[in-house]
Order: sequence, then C-alpha cells, then structure tokens
Amino acid sequence: MTGMPSILVVEPSAEQSKHRAAGVMVRRDARVSADTIKKQLKEIRDYTRANHATLVDQLKRSLEQYPGVKLFYAENSEKAASYVRQVAGETNLASINKSNVLVNELRSKLHALGLKTYLRYFTEFNNFDVATFKKSVEEYWSVPGMHARGLVESFEVRRQFSRLSSNEARDYVAILGVNAVSAADGTILFLQHMSNISKDLEQATKIIFVVSVEKVLKDRESALFHTRSMGIFGLESILLDLAPKPEEAYDFDSLPVMSTTNDREVHLIVLDNGRTGLLNDGYGDLFLCIDCRACARQCPIGKHLLVDRGMVYSPKNYVLAFLQGAVPPLDECLHCGRCEVECPVDIDVPTLIWKTQMEYAEKKGRSWKKRLLDDPEILAKLGGLTAPLSNWASNLPVVKWIMELTAGIHHGANLPTFHRRTFRDWFKGGSGE
Amino acid sequence: MSDTVIYFSGCWANYYGPEIGKALVEVMKKNGFQVVVPEQKCCGMPMMANANLKGAGKNFNFIMKSLYGAAYPDHDVITTCPSCNMMLRKEGRKFFDSAEAAWLSEHIFDADEYLLKLHKEGRLNTDFRPVPLKVFYHNPCHLKVQGLTQVPLDLLKLIPGVQVVGSNYYCCGLSGSYGMKKANYDRSIIIAQHVWDEAKKSGAEAVVTECGGCGLRIQSGTGLKIIHPMVLLSQAYGLTDVQQVA
Repeated sequence: MTGMPSILVVEPSAEQSKHRAAGVMVRRDARVSADTIKKQLKEIRDYTRANHATLVDQLKRSLEQYPGVKLFYAENSEKAASYVRQVAGETNLASINKSNVLVNELRSKLHALGLKTYLRYFTEFNNFDVATFKKSVEEYWSVPGMHARGLVESFEVRRQFSRLSSNEARDYVAILGVNAVSAADGTILFLQHMSNISKDLEQATKIIFVVSVEKVLKDRESALFHTRSMGIFGLESILLDLAPKPEEAYDFDSLPVMSTTNDREVHLIVLDNGRTGLLNDGYGDLFLCIDCRACARQCPIGKHLLVDRGMVYSPKNYVLAFLQGAVPPLDECLHCGRCEVECPVDIDVPTLIWKTQMEYAEKKGRSWKKRLLDDPEILAKLGGLTAPLSNWASNLPVVKWIMELTAGIHHGANLPTFHRRTFRDWFKGGSGE
Repeated sequence: MSDTVIYFSGCWANYYGPEIGKALVEVMKKNGFQVVVPEQKCCGMPMMANANLKGAGKNFNFIMKSLYGAAYPDHDVITTCPSCNMMLRKEGRKFFDSAEAAWLSEHIFDADEYLLKLHKEGRLNTDFRPVPLKVFYHNPCHLKVQGLTQVPLDLLKLIPGVQVVGSNYYCCGLSGSYGMKKANYDRSIIIAQHVWDEAKKSGAEAVVTECGGCGLRIQSGTGLKIIHPMVLLSQAYGLTDVQQVA
C-alpha cells in the first residue's frame, strides 16, 4: 500500500441516550439541544450545496497525495457500474453495504454486468436470537419513539484505518457507499452499526468506495459531524428494514485467505447520477439530505414500498429515484405530510412529492379515474340533492361493484353519508332548521 | 362583547357532517362571537392529490379572495377540517402564493387551537356542564404535522366528565379518497389496523377526532361513535346531545 487517507468508522455505544449523544457530540460535558445540532448541520449542508463543484475539485487534489487511491468521477450509475466491473476484473463476487447509492442506484446495474452482490449486513444477523426478538418488518416499522423507551446510544469514532493490511485478504470486491468524505484531506467516513464495513475493509482484495456528490464535505470536522448526525437522527430508523434476507447473505468470512501479499486496491467513485442537474430545477433541497431516514420512520406507506420494491426506502430516496428515472411517480403517497416533521435539515419532502406528481401529470396527462375523483364537491352536491336515495343506493352491492369498475372505488370502502340540507343551507336559513 | 370570526366549513362539515358546522357556530356564539360564512369552494387539496394543479389553484385563489375580503384587517378565520386548514394555511401557498394568502396564513386557525387560544387569554366561556364520556382521541396527520398534537387534548381536558382513555398519532390510512381507491384499499386497511386496535383496546365509548375522513375510517373498523371536538363542546354548553348526533 502506497498511502491512503484515513478511514474513520463511527459507531454507536450503548452508554448514553440520543439527546445525551447530541450533547456529547459538541462538548463532552454539556447537554446540547437537538436544535443546536440541527443548526450546525444545516450550515454544513448549505455550504456543501453551494460549493459542491469546488469541493469535488478539492477532493481530487487532496487524493493526489495518496497514489494508493484511484478517483473516478461517474456522471451516472451506468458509468460507475462499468468502472466497478473493470476494477473487479476476474472476480464476480461483491459485498455491498445497505446504502442508498449501492442498493437503489448501482445494484441492478452491477448485476447486469455479471457481478453477484451480497449485503454482508444480513449475515451478521447470526448474532441475533430471532426467536427472542420475534419482530417482523412491520412491527419494527411501527416502533413508536424508541428514544422515549429509553434506548441508549451515542456515536463516536471507534475505529480508524490508515493503512490496509493484506493478512486477511480474500478474493472478492467490496463496494461501499460512504457517509461522507472530507475534501480537505480525503478522509472517508462510515457509520457502522454492526461490523460489516470493518470486515470488508479488512478482507476485500479490492475496495471501491462510492460517495454521492453531495456527501463530499469541506473538511474532516464537517464530515465527522455529518456522519454522527446521521447516526443520531437516524437512530430510530435503523430498525426499519432489519429483516434478514437469506438470498442476500453470503459468508465472506469462510472464503480462503489469499496467500499472496499483493497490495489491496482502493478506489473512490464520486457519483453524480443526476444530482447536480436537480439543483436548479426546484429540487435543490435534496442536496441537503444526510440520509438519516427520519422521514422514512414517519411514512405510513414506507414498509409497503420497502417490501414491494426492495429499495433502501425513504420518501426522499423515492423522490430522487423518480427524478433519476428509476421508479414511477409516487402514486402510493397519502400526502399526510409526516415526512417533513423530523427532518433534521428541514427538507420539505411533501412539497417535492407534490411537485414530481404535478410535473408528471403535466407531461403525461391524468387518468380519467383521477379526473373523476378530483372535485369532491360535484359528487357531494349530487349525493346531497338525491339523499336519502343516494345513501341507500351507494350501499347496494351492485352499485358498489359498478363504482369499483367505473371510478376505481373499492367495493369495501365506506362512503360518507350525504345530507339533503347542507351546513351552509342551514346557516343561510334557506332550508330552515 | 361581540366579535366576528370567519368560518371556512370546507366540504366535510358542509355536505357530510353539518352537525360540526352547526356546533361550531353555536360554540362561537356562546363565546360572544358572530360567525360569518363567506362564499367558499373545496379547499383544493383533493385536486392536488389527483394531480390537478390548475383546478386546485383556481379554488385556492377563489377562497383566498373570499376569506381575505371577509377577514381583513380585523378578523380571524377558523376551520374545523385539519386538511382544509393545512391547505389554506400552508400547502396552498407553496404553489399559489399571494399577498392575501400570506396575510391569511397568519390569521387562519384550527377551531381547537382558536378556542384554546381564547382560554389562554382568559376569554373562553367555561360554563360547561359535565359530559360523562370515555373517549379515545385520534390526532389526524394534518394537525400533527402542524404541531397541533397537544392542543386538542388540552381542550378536551377543559370539559368536565370527559375522560380521554387513549390517544394516538398514527395515520388512519384513508386520506380523502386515497384509501377508498381500489389501488390503495388493501394497503390503507393495513395502515388503519393500528389505529383500530388501539381505539378498541382503550375501552372508549366514542372516538374524538377533527378529521371527517379519519372518523369515517375509524368508525368502519371499530363501530365506535365519532365525535368532533366542537360537537362535544356544544354538548358541554348544553346545546347538543352527542348521543343524538349521527
């Protein structure tokens, strides 16, 4: 190894509560409110958004002093995947981590190029007694406020790699989405809840880090703050898709240790994949995201989309994937607005979702079912004028089936009761009381 | 003292729950307010949800002009539907902002919020009769996301006899016509189950919620009577008997 930047692995400890962790993050002896953390985080994110091109250039220059690391700027996921394929060479076996860029943006492209990817995270569930946990994905999803239940965590740098030893090298490639990179010195930061990342850093012969362009931060301090913030604000979201998936697990530990002591290869892909193009399109706030998935925890439909689409789901990730052309518009959205509530950087995700839907409708038109249901007053007026007949009729099985076939209203749906005399009639005294 | 307040009833209280609108008028009268109901249309949120931005904008702008005309410069606007409230106060402005909308956003209140505000100012008529009732309170998403989670509970606490035996902040899964659509129905029922289970196990005799849609969904899964806080308050003032309200 001819030199590489530091790799810092931030991990939780079971010593302190979430808010205590927020305090520790700034000063060891003081409790700091989550609002203080958010303010500082917002400043870091705003700076990154405003200076992303400069920061990427700076990162390139910083990495020039580390000939052991090759940097590749990928405009899109296809180019990133081709680069990975080229680096992997003879090897088809790859370990990936459960990050947005890997699972949502690169995985299918890697598969198309013949690489077999496994989420090492899932093999680590051997440590859990599933029978004791007895938790399904859905149950985890509805865990209400783990902090309130006294879950204790804090996030600190627990491991640091400044060189990679070849003693444990195995013949596979690790492709790891990183949480942040420092443009000033190239330091790479990970948030790790188990040991999958450390193991890949110890074992993979070829390591390819992937950083999405908005995760290139000013300096090590900012990158560390960002990473720890992801831990703190994402603490209650880590359980969301904590479901072992046997088909995604692979026992990398049991691979034979390679006898040759060749240097291990390290690459860093900076992935844009449509992100910078969104900055001037009204979607610039997506650049602020730290991927904590606090929005996902609030989302009532999250668990369904997670199961249906096999993605690292969050409402924000879905919006991004839609804008990248990877998924259809989010018709499943209830527009409850909850995804905004806990966002540490105040991204107005609900409005971004509205915007994607309106723009899609503008381009592609609206289905006639949508047209039929968009003005509740037409139906209400009609039902009111013909009440109580309308109430009787709308409960007839045959009418319910006709409504399902024509308007797409499920036959089991309860409909509201129409009133011949509306409130405003009563108020005006027109129909009397 | 007689003051004036502007009431935006929205579609639910107008067409499906007229008892809510009537209760609001009576409750405000009991507090010395004259209620004005200006010309209005659907708030536009259902149109937004069906990607009809143009239609939503037309309604929103119409409402803003009408409410502004009635309210500016001295009066406040109150709503009884959380979704109308969120649309008129917050969501609509993101797409169709205007000087009227900006002024109104500072003067539109949810009815619970407005009455609790009056109480904090020492202006709420608390001449309540006891309403002996065990209730489960369901906080609709569109109040939750505006930070109005504790306000309704604080208001209910003022009514003697009302015992809140449970409450929740989950989504009911209905969201207007969303949960009625064939494409969403099964998913929306799974989402609702959590709310149904909690309401049923609470031992409540009735469910209190502000949202007509949430009420419809909770009633269908629990069989419990659904009461808007304004209807409960009007009973406390001796004006309505909640047992008689559908």
